[in-house]
Amino acid sequence: MFELGLQAIYSGVLTGGYYALVALGLALVFGTMRVINLAHGELVLLAAYVAYSAEVHLAISPIAAIPLSLVVVSLVAVLVYVLLSHITRDRELNSLILTYGLGIVLTNLMLLIWSADIRSTTATWFQEGAVLGDTLYSSRSEVIFFLVSLVLVAGLWFWLTRSWHGRAVRAVSSNRDAAMLMGVNPRTTEVLSFLVAGLLATFAGIALYTGKTIDPPLGHALTIKAFIITVLAGMGSIPGVLLGAMLIGITEALTISFVSTSLQDLAGMVLFLAVLLLRPQGLFGFGTRRG
Amino acid sequence: MQQRTIITIGFVVLFYGAVPAAFGSTDYVISSIVAALTIAGTAVAWALLGNLGGMVSFGHAAFFGVGAYVSALLTMNAGWPVFAAIIAGGAGASIASVAIMPALRLRGPYFALAVLAYAGIFRILATEMEGITRGAAGLLSIPRLPTILGFDLGTNIGSYYVILTIVLAAMAAYAWIRRSEIGFALLAMHETEDATRILGVPSTRLKAMMLVLSAFITGIVGAFNAHHISFLDPDYAFSGVWTVLPIVAAIFGGFRTVSGPFIGALAIYLLDQFVFKSLLPTGHQIILGAALGTMILLSPDGLVPLLGRGLGKKRHAAT
Repeated sequence: MFELGLQAIYSGVLTGGYYALVALGLALVFGTMRVINLAHGELVLLAAYVAYSAEVHLAISPIAAIPLSLVVVSLVAVLVYVLLSHITRDRELNSLILTYGLGIVLTNLMLLIWSADIRSTTATWFQEGAVLGDTLYSSRSEVIFFLVSLVLVAGLWFWLTRSWHGRAVRAVSSNRDAAMLMGVNPRTTEVLSFLVAGLLATFAGIALYTGKTIDPPLGHALTIKAFIITVLAGMGSIPGVLLGAMLIGITEALTISFVSTSLQDLAGMVLFLAVLLLRPQGLFGFGTRRG
Repeated sequence: MQQRTIITIGFVVLFYGAVPAAFGSTDYVISSIVAALTIAGTAVAWALLGNLGGMVSFGHAAFFGVGAYVSALLTMNAGWPVFAAIIAGGAGASIASVAIMPALRLRGPYFALAVLAYAGIFRILATEMEGITRGAAGLLSIPRLPTILGFDLGTNIGSYYVILTIVLAAMAAYAWIRRSEIGFALLAMHETEDATRILGVPSTRLKAMMLVLSAFITGIVGAFNAHHISFLDPDYAFSGVWTVLPIVAAIFGGFRTVSGPFIGALAIYLLDQFVFKSLLPTGHQIILGAALGTMILLSPDGLVPLLGRGLGKKRHAAT
């Protein structure tokens, strides 16, 4: 019982690293533009599918496909940004509906290109077991991308707090007009945040492809998961996203171990609704979300 | 006002008289129109919440599915008459909407996404609660609509009259609320919520009312559909289609008008059914997604105001 619980927590933490990669891009774009990109999960899935195509047609490993995925996902991310920037009225809600529509387009585009079949990598090296201290089991993919996610979270945090461009992102996020007066070009900054979100989505997509199976409806589910984590974290908190993602990962893993696999998603959603009810500013957020 | 009355009467005559007379004999066409009206009913409910409540919902599939299951189970297990069960289905959806009320204190995008996450819960519940819902196997041979005064409502043409009446009643309720004091307060709230609160408008309570009403209408439409199709399973009852199509329809037709969602639903569903599906058997939703995006970029108020502008009629965006 104790060992089972320990194993579940270990798996949950590793999954949390992957979830953080999925959620960070959404949180970043929300931070800069106050726009929730409902096509974000589809970007993650797109990266995974590009890696699949590269593996089948070019016979390269998913890791080597990262640059290719990055180019494709970044182009689509910038396209999303260009379309979003044409919205003038009711920006909050209209951008939500627009990205929702773009998500539908991307999902069906992937369905048309790659069909509804479930795909997975042929590089079995990633799925082989990695044992920690003789008792805790996981796949190599999980461990690798957990570490990658820690590096990227740290890098993102460092970029946002220490670099000029990162501070520009935060400046635009807190006051667009004032940032403009300080010589920050908000458009460049927003494109930059979309590109960084694309980069994070690419790594999330490769983590997905090496560790799990993919099919077109998955993108939508990933968007929901990313949003749940972002709310749990409290909008705009980068370390909070990592913690929120791990919390969801652990909750799901414990549900699988002790209750039932099919209730996995339910557990995350109940946690989400509970947080919404009891602490609407998020677990690690400050201030209120009203007004 | 005079002109509006004439248009309304013409509209009712057209849909109660001319449409069945023209298509009543072709089952395929009339059943497609019934399906389009099912989308229209949900689209009206969605637009009511969106326009009056100022809330975009990505979770109307939940209300649709709950209404369908409640009504189907009441007729099958408790022997309720179909029409009473359909009303109960609406009530069931309203009760389900109470669970999402904590999200009402969230504004704009937060609410929309909270509902999106919440909608997923019901599909899982319907699949897992096998003792009641029979799980993924689904419910077969749900009682059809009854025969009243020798007129069989279970036929396609009978169902057409029933769903048409439901949708028109929903539109009438929507129009009435919009012109009432509550509607005025709600529309003012859409402009600036804090100012209306200062003037003593109980904004959260009004929004909650709109949510419950929207869920009620959607539940009734879902319940109707269950008895019309006579089959339910979790994937069908809570399908994303019940969220996507009404949104596309309402945006396309114009969700700030009463007739917009209705016209949008007929146009979008029939186009999807007769044109898009034959062009693209799989993935035809890509056209719907593109239409949604294009509409938001070019004319966020939809087709109806666009046409109105073309005819030289001036309308305020939110009245």
